[in-house]
Amino acid sequence: MKKRLYIELENCIGCRSCLAACTQCGGHEERNRNYVYDVNPHVNRQTMPLMCLHCENPACARSCPAQAIQIHETGAVLSALVEKCIGCQNCTIACPYGIPKFDEEQNLMYKCDLCIDRTKDGIPPMCASVCPSNTLQWLTEEEIEQKQRRHDLDNDKWVTSMPYLEGATNVKVNLPGILQGTEKLF
Amino acid sequence: MQRDKFFKEIENVEHPNEKLIKTHCSYCGMQCGMNLRVNTATNKIIGVEPRYDWPVTVGKMCPKGVTAYQQTNHKDRILRPLIRDDASLKGTKEGFREASWEEAYDLIAEKFGELQQNYGKDSLSVFSGVSMTNEKCYLTGKFARVALGTRYIDYNGRFCMSSAAGGFLRSFGVDRGSTLPWTDIHETDCLFIAGSNTAECHPTSMFRIWNVQERGGYIIVVDPRETPIARRADLHLDLKPGTDLALANGIVHLLVEKGYADEEFVNQHTNGFEETKELVKQFTPEYTSHLTGVAPEKIERAAEIYGKAPNAVVMFARGIEQQHKGVDNVSGYTNMALVTGKIGRPKSGVATFTGQGNGQGGREHGQKSDLLPGYRKITNPQHVQEVCNVWGITPEEMPKAGVSAYEMFELMDQKQIRGLYLLCSNPAVSAPNLNFVRNAMKNLDFMVCADFYLSESAEFADVILPSVTWSEDEGTVTNIEGRIIKINKAQEPLGESKPDWQMQVELAERLGKGENFAHLKTAKDVAEEFRLASKGGSADYYGATWDKIEKQDGVFWPCKDEGDEGTPHMFLDKKFYHPDGKAQICALPYRPPAEEPCEEYPLRLTTGRVVYHYLSGNQTRRIQFLKDMCPEPYVEVHPETAGKYNMEHDERIRLYTRRGEAIYKVKVTEAIRKDTVFVPYHFGHEESINLLTIPALDPKSRMPEFKACAAQMEKLEPKKVL
Ligand code: SF4
Repeated sequence: MKKRLYIELENCIGCRSCLAACTQCGGHEERNRNYVYDVNPHVNRQTMPLMCLHCENPACARSCPAQAIQIHETGAVLSALVEKCIGCQNCTIACPYGIPKFDEEQNLMYKCDLCIDRTKDGIPPMCASVCPSNTLQWLTEEEIEQKQRRHDLDNDKWVTSMPYLEGATNVKVNLPGILQGTEKLF
Repeated sequence: MQRDKFFKEIENVEHPNEKLIKTHCSYCGMQCGMNLRVNTATNKIIGVEPRYDWPVTVGKMCPKGVTAYQQTNHKDRILRPLIRDDASLKGTKEGFREASWEEAYDLIAEKFGELQQNYGKDSLSVFSGVSMTNEKCYLTGKFARVALGTRYIDYNGRFCMSSAAGGFLRSFGVDRGSTLPWTDIHETDCLFIAGSNTAECHPTSMFRIWNVQERGGYIIVVDPRETPIARRADLHLDLKPGTDLALANGIVHLLVEKGYADEEFVNQHTNGFEETKELVKQFTPEYTSHLTGVAPEKIERAAEIYGKAPNAVVMFARGIEQQHKGVDNVSGYTNMALVTGKIGRPKSGVATFTGQGNGQGGREHGQKSDLLPGYRKITNPQHVQEVCNVWGITPEEMPKAGVSAYEMFELMDQKQIRGLYLLCSNPAVSAPNLNFVRNAMKNLDFMVCADFYLSESAEFADVILPSVTWSEDEGTVTNIEGRIIKINKAQEPLGESKPDWQMQVELAERLGKGENFAHLKTAKDVAEEFRLASKGGSADYYGATWDKIEKQDGVFWPCKDEGDEGTPHMFLDKKFYHPDGKAQICALPYRPPAEEPCEEYPLRLTTGRVVYHYLSGNQTRRIQFLKDMCPEPYVEVHPETAGKYNMEHDERIRLYTRRGEAIYKVKVTEAIRKDTVFVPYHFGHEESINLLTIPALDPKSRMPEFKACAAQMEKLEPKKVL
């Protein structure tokens, strides 16, 4: 059963466990590949993760002059192949979210590969495994559809693809507004 | 086995040349399940893998948990006993030399012997902690009373859970931190959460808590700060620090007045309703608002939501407990559940967020100055006899009750206590009024500290004994729910380090008490004796064998015998633990904080935690990721207040109280009351906010008022330009 990373932005508590956990994935050389931002730090404690969305037609891969960025059969947009990457950083500039990171010493780009050695077998990526707030979840298509039906109020609050993001993405995102449309129990 | 909708069958990833050891986090009371990755060639811990099959946390961990494994083989580990011959270097890291265990034990036996010879048995003290297994906590109590023969033993739970304990004992007659399992939490209809920065301090509760709202339920948060959980709460009651009891009384008043009281429940199962009803009458929304600073409409709305909710859970933490009326605050908020009968059934109840990993178990089995294993009282001759039977001593040999943690430092200052055996705690950071406490430690005649890192407190020791991290030993811990769980050993002790129980057994032998300890050769041996010692007490662990814990995914106490599966839900039979089987609704007159703001000190200082650090930070400040995320303390100030003081974000300023001062960076944020400033407490030396906090103690729990005192701040003199 195909599963996807799903992001429920309004759940984020800013603990950055996803960053710590990212380093624990076998292929990640103990470097994290995602981001968590304080949205408006002088005003409130709102935070949000910024993860690779694994675009279906990824700008990073398109911009790579060396074809160093491969797309896995699961749809995961992989980290640069060490032997091909020329360290030009086109990908970081091309990515609408600036996801790919750069290792100056190795002259090498590295990015989220959706913990491919886990997700290829249907095991959730490290970030979604540990996320204490269920901001990052690993869900079946069906579960995601259920969420979409529930939250899609035709008010721009449900955002998964065009025209809001750069293109269709493998990762699905629900912008702040999870509680919109929730009926109170009493 | 409680498996709920969050539980998913997921396989773990096992890398070649690695094995996974199932265990739990070393840090907070959540005790998240985790697998430690162990390299099978080196037999060393090298990483972590989620434990998806742990029913409470289903693989989730906060950043402390994810990086916890880095403690074990950390470069700062103390690998051999250390002795410092030059006492003038106390209070620094300097002057320690490596020694053999033999030499260290000999020196301790000699010095402790001398002190007791010259100044009596009670010239020695033991200061302990609850971030360790039940077996260790149990044995530490026995070590103090039998091996050292001193009355002075107490522990860091006095700075953590003692008010919750005191409040629950008074309200229910028993102190189990949660009356229901955590797997109930997302199914309730209203969470009333007071004084808990849950998203930072117990992060892995959050997926259940948010789910209450997703189901259409309500979250009400009481906090002077707009913490991450308060930000999304349905209602945020932004009270002044130290005014909880007024708010609790105000809400109880409204619950009664608006007809939400469950008269049948109140009549049959409680005492004290009428007096309480009378007392809370004066706490009208307006008067309560006047005392707490919370808008009257919000108080009314909170009472309405809680009152109407079919099921509700009242939860609280250190915010309400670390006050000089912490016990009253606990009973005050607990009154809400008792008056409305929202207790003693699934999905409803009362819970405190246990701070330390074994904050629950560690306070039940005899580390507290007046308690013996199984929550027995040292002042009760019957209880003493029962424990003496297990320990092989006579009741005459059992020392009397001692004094609380902070009061031990007062006795050190007065030279009544001259020697200290410190373990599993770092009071040189975590105690209040640190100028006084550090001085008291410095002036001790002889101090031993068992730790795996050289903590700020170890800097005052004459001898440091290298203990092990949690993953180099095994034993049980009682988590936030009251569920007894098993910590497993993943690696052999690094260097010459030893588990605390082993040191105590070996030291007891040196002190001539071998016959009471020598049979304890493994952690399992201690566990067997401990179960027996708890048997028949109100915290009865006798039936909680390691096998049963493994089979059932933990065992909730009380668990009296082999056939007993334990007690996930308390009071289902509506029987409370007072002699008449009834719970106590408490009439509690309001008292303001011990130190109210004044002209000279116009601000309210409150202290707390950040998600990246645990307790005094002795462990987490050494973990690179956590250190990078929060390298230093800061003072949170509202922009309007910062403006008044002409202070800017990131500016270094001087914060001071009647007891001490420190320099902090200003963090300007609207997420705090204008009359309040906040500093996290995890930092040492001159960065410790506890240099400023007040040692006003709760009369029952002896908990210091970390959460409220009067403070002032000022700009630093601009550096003279030459
Ligand atoms: S510190 Fe607490 S919440 Fe964080 S992983 Fe450890 S037990 Fe879980």
